[in-house]
Amino acid sequence: MHGEYKTPGGKLVVVDLEVRDGKLRQVQVSGDFFLEPEETLDAINRALEGLSADSDEPSIAESVRRVTEGAELIGFSPEAIAVAVRRALA
Amino acid sequence: MRTDWNDYEWKLLRDGPQSPQMHMALDEALTYAVGSGKRPPTLRIWEWGSPAVVIGRYQSVRNEVDPENLGRYGFEVVRRISGGGAMFIEPGNTITYSLYAPQELVQGMSFQESYAFMDVWVLQALKSLGIEASYQPINDITSPGGKIAGAAQTRRGGAVLHHVTMAYDIDAAKMTQVLRIGREKLSDKGQTSAQKRVDPLRSQTGLPRAEVIDRMVGTFAELHPSQPDKLGEEELEAARELVKTKFGTKEWIYIIP
Repeated sequence: MHGEYKTPGGKLVVVDLEVRDGKLRQVQVSGDFFLEPEETLDAINRALEGLSADSDEPSIAESVRRVTEGAELIGFSPEAIAVAVRRALA
Repeated sequence: MRTDWNDYEWKLLRDGPQSPQMHMALDEALTYAVGSGKRPPTLRIWEWGSPAVVIGRYQSVRNEVDPENLGRYGFEVVRRISGGGAMFIEPGNTITYSLYAPQELVQGMSFQESYAFMDVWVLQALKSLGIEASYQPINDITSPGGKIAGAAQTRRGGAVLHHVTMAYDIDAAKMTQVLRIGREKLSDKGQTSAQKRVDPLRSQTGLPRAEVIDRMVGTFAELHPSQPDKLGEEELEAARELVKTKFGTKEWIYIIP
């Protein structure tokens, strides 16, 4: 499953994932954003892995925010990732 | 404390063509070399040995390229260490450069500020060629006629890497066959980064590519103390090693398949 969201004036976030037993699996976030340090992307993928497929946008964004504190996200945000996840699930 | 451009004596590198993978490797090697103080701050002009699609650190290969057309036109995919979008490269069609500087040069600046700051000299060079160039946040250089260039930055090992690809000439038809441009990317401004109405430097200046580069390097050298330089054998060897262990490997190129 595949979802995309472009922050207006910012960058594209792409999410590819599977759903098994009602949970997000094999979550891969990608896009043309800027992110420092680079390891943060793995942390974001891990934070999304196993979330309930029923999670709403605010709770998805909160899960991402927990692992991006101290990182620099340029052109996107935890909320943008949450929108892309919800679109993948739609 | 933040430093200034003129606190350094800059090195100017303008060597012959390298393979796309070597360029990726040189950017990493030279960024760390400047960060550790082994190499003074440097402006490097790239010459491309062969066609390539250069994707950003966080992009997915299958989202960005059409594998069939990629092969048909003899392109390869390489992945750079900075974020940002895909670049469509044919030798002679782009002007690409990198700046490697101690991180102190952009200390305390937001990313947005540091993008514009690192290209002040380029805007000046373009203006001297009669182009009313300006910075369009986050990372584009644009003109009344259209987009000219895209920049990307990363901060590693005590250094900032700022690299830019400018359109000198462009085969737009081939580009749209090789790059995949999704609808969502077009959602907020009608065009994607690669496809934004590009107005290349060739039609804007009427000058040969080498003359545009001469003007850019000349402007940089007028503004900042600088000396011509060559890549050292040790630096080339470090880059070759990085091609073997990182930039030439499937594990890196397809780190996001």
